[in-house]
Amino acid sequence: MPVRREIEIEASPEEVWEALVHEERRAQWLDEPEREVDVEVVQAPHRLVWWWGEDDAMTRVEVLVVAVARGSRVVVTESVPAFPLPALAAAFRPVGQRG
Amino acid sequence: MNPLPAPDQVGLVFGALADPTRRWMVQALLRDGTTSVPALAAALPISRQAVAKHVVALGEAGLLERAPTGGGREVHYRLRPGALDPAAAWLREAEASWDDRLARLKANVEGEAD
Repeated sequence: MPVRREIEIEASPEEVWEALVHEERRAQWLDEPEREVDVEVVQAPHRLVWWWGEDDAMTRVEVLVVAVARGSRVVVTESVPAFPLPALAAAFRPVGQRG
Repeated sequence: MNPLPAPDQVGLVFGALADPTRRWMVQALLRDGTTSVPALAAALPISRQAVAKHVVALGEAGLLERAPTGGGREVHYRLRPGALDPAAAWLREAEASWDDRLARLKANVEGEAD
């Protein structure tokens, strides 16, 4: 059950892409200084995927950029992993290391 | 920052609801109020054991709880009140945040082009 939002921008996908991939530009509009962006997929100029979050609570963000008549459509999907990653990591720790 | 529900807990709920059989079971509970493993097995083309596993998964996600049975031997289940609230809150918050961020992205890109 991901969140999906989109917007149209009067600029080419390449121009939008510049604001997505360059860390400084991205930080300007994300405005989330306490979240670290961990980029997973880069497919210029159409698809960027990253993980982010605070502490162990990570979510996955996929940004798609498609050309439309008046410029670009940007579609963002943010999803929560279906499994509790830290809990799983704890469960799969070697027996000797469990608290 | 608003206090967000922990995504791990939200992830458990979404994970539980990602399965079509479990969504069907939740819908049946929304409609009927309570159900039981035999009742679900009678309505679904899967075994009683498979139904029981789905019930456990929904319970682990905090979506189900045992309902009073009124003296019968069969265990009845109902939806746990408020179980979807953290997931719904996360969705609303994430949607609003992305609307703001995308508006800033648009301004950023269109400002750059001028």
